Amino acid sequence: MGRAQFEHPPSPSSGLVITMLEIRDLVAAPARKVAPVLQGVSLQVGRGEKVAILGPSGAGKTTLFRAISGFVPVLSGSITVDGVSVQGLRGARLRDLRRRIALISQRHDLVDRLRVHQNVMAGALGRWSTLHALRFLLHPKPDELDEAARALDRVGIPQKLKSRTSDLSGGEHQRVAIARALVQHPLLLLADEPVASLDPELSGQILSLLTSLAQENGFALLCSLHQPHLAHQYFDRIIKFEAGKIQQDGPPSKAEVRA
Amino acid sequence: MTPGWESALSQLRQFYPPDLSPQYLKALVVPLLETLQIAAAATFLVIVFGLLLSLYVGARLPGARLLYALMTCVRAVPDLTLAIFCVIMFGLGKAAGMVALTIFYTAATGKVFADLFASADPGPVEALQSTGGGRVAVALVGLLPLRLNDLLTYGAYQLESVVRAATIVGAVGAGGLGTELYGAIINYEYPRAGTLILILVMVVAVVDRLAWLVRRYPKFLLVLAVVGVASVLMNRPHMVPLAYAIGRFRSMLPPQAPDHLERVPGLVGETLLMAFGGTLLATILAVPLGVAAARNLSPVFVYFPARRFLEFLRSVPEVAWGLVLMGVAGLGPKIGILALGLHSAGSLGKLFAESLENVPPEPVLAMTATGGSRIAITSFAHLPLAFAPMVVHSLFRLEWNMRAAAVVGMISAGGIGQALFNAQQLFHYREMVWYLIVTWALVMLTDAINTRVRKHWRVSEVIVR
Repeated sequence: MGRAQFEHPPSPSSGLVITMLEIRDLVAAPARKVAPVLQGVSLQVGRGEKVAILGPSGAGKTTLFRAISGFVPVLSGSITVDGVSVQGLRGARLRDLRRRIALISQRHDLVDRLRVHQNVMAGALGRWSTLHALRFLLHPKPDELDEAARALDRVGIPQKLKSRTSDLSGGEHQRVAIARALVQHPLLLLADEPVASLDPELSGQILSLLTSLAQENGFALLCSLHQPHLAHQYFDRIIKFEAGKIQQDGPPSKAEVRA
Repeated sequence: MTPGWESALSQLRQFYPPDLSPQYLKALVVPLLETLQIAAAATFLVIVFGLLLSLYVGARLPGARLLYALMTCVRAVPDLTLAIFCVIMFGLGKAAGMVALTIFYTAATGKVFADLFASADPGPVEALQSTGGGRVAVALVGLLPLRLNDLLTYGAYQLESVVRAATIVGAVGAGGLGTELYGAIINYEYPRAGTLILILVMVVAVVDRLAWLVRRYPKFLLVLAVVGVASVLMNRPHMVPLAYAIGRFRSMLPPQAPDHLERVPGLVGETLLMAFGGTLLATILAVPLGVAAARNLSPVFVYFPARRFLEFLRSVPEVAWGLVLMGVAGLGPKIGILALGLHSAGSLGKLFAESLENVPPEPVLAMTATGGSRIAITSFAHLPLAFAPMVVHSLFRLEWNMRAAAVVGMISAGGIGQALFNAQQLFHYREMVWYLIVTWALVMLTDAINTRVRKHWRVSEVIVR
């Protein structure tokens, strides 16, 4: 199972870019009956592209991510992921879309009471049947544990396979969340402030891990940050967000690097 | 169950249709008012005394530890036993019921409130202390506002339990619906018992709404306070035969071990069987019922009936379940298990539903984002996240059931409780006190285990029922 994702070709460095995510004139609110925070956002992200989204809190970064994975309704405009329109999807078709979009956020992604291997393999819930999922909770098979171990190996903590999730450090926590995302074999990985609660050294490690995984696996990476120097250091495209609109979109320029 | 399901069902069918004749309903108005009066008066006194005592403990005034230990001890005495003592003290009637409920629930509430104060955020409290304020001032200005929400939530819970308990104490002659229910079942008037259970369910449902109102609009408490004061005045003991009561209490001491000491381990075993079996049965029933009743997991056409069903289960007190099931399952610990199990399933189901509704949203969102099915997400996220509070609720229930196992003993469910009740009926008061101490030790032991487990799971929440 775990091999499918490794067969993705690396992103073409030149020529044809396959569009993974396309957003047009998106207007969306964080919840029903709330004023929209996204006011006409348009962007395109290609396979293997590594994009940082910069902006103050409240600029609408989280709402953007939630709209892409179908958690908040699209008021107007459109979102397409790998050619599939997100609007109006429900039930099995919405779940099918979600399994192709991995979502990592600040800190509280993992279920503390589960073991690490259970949290990692939760990434497979989208392709497993409900019975399969329940059986795994009670009695994981060796090949499933193998897959979890491989994912943990790729994020650098293979020794944590059977640890208690509540015993992990902040950096390990984020690595497990990334391992879960890998198990999901995503086309698109959305990372919402993945390093907000980490110290500078760990932040660098996590971002370089995310970007190199995007490079190897060919998924598109969309990562929101609030530290400009990290964005300039690790990403090949930066989108600046302010008050629900895109202010700037392009490759990082050296002049703007402020540490 | 020996008689088989067929006859069990036909037994239960005798409760239906309930006796709704105007004469009978009219005859029930007075007992209903009596029960409500006992409940209102006791709730009022409990909130006032419980708050004062817990603030005393919270402010760490001299003797606070002793007071806390005392409250823990009183809480371990079954409320029905307290009611028996109060009947000795104040004679038959509502006053005895009111005082018994007040003593038991003041200790219970005072302890929980004190726990709430002890787990208050230390930051603001220290800031207030550094202004040089006295302990009482810090408690009033700091602890009280910090914990007001939890106090209200728990106080509202208390209201519901007191109303239910008010019917039970009636069974030992303290008046109200309990006396009627006991009489109806003893006299095989099942349709009337059906009516009484129906009324109980309705009263508890109304109290439930009332509790919700109080939580929502705390000013409503003032109205309740007026009703409470009036009820206290109407129910105050008219005579206190103090010399007589002291004489009776003195005759209960020192406790005397029963003649057949070799039977005691068996009795303790029966009580443990009822408490553990009842709690286990309740937990097994409460997990699916709790999932069905959780608003964030089930659609409205599932959670609405599930909630009503849970209300029904818990509005019938353990003793009443026992009385109803006696005709179905016979005597002995098995009706104890069923009675404790059905009532506790109602309480635990509601608490499990709340625990499931209160899980942190972030891990659930992350789990949903993997594209799993609803059942998969519930079992990977909601259930593990709510596991710790659910365990704690079940353990609290176990402690509660240790006491309740003694209470159902009085309707021939066996165990220490039945021995206690028999000793009381035969006026062997010194023996009764001995059994009381055994019960008390069992409850205290469960309480100690609870505290350890709560520390282990790092769960500070103290909502008990």
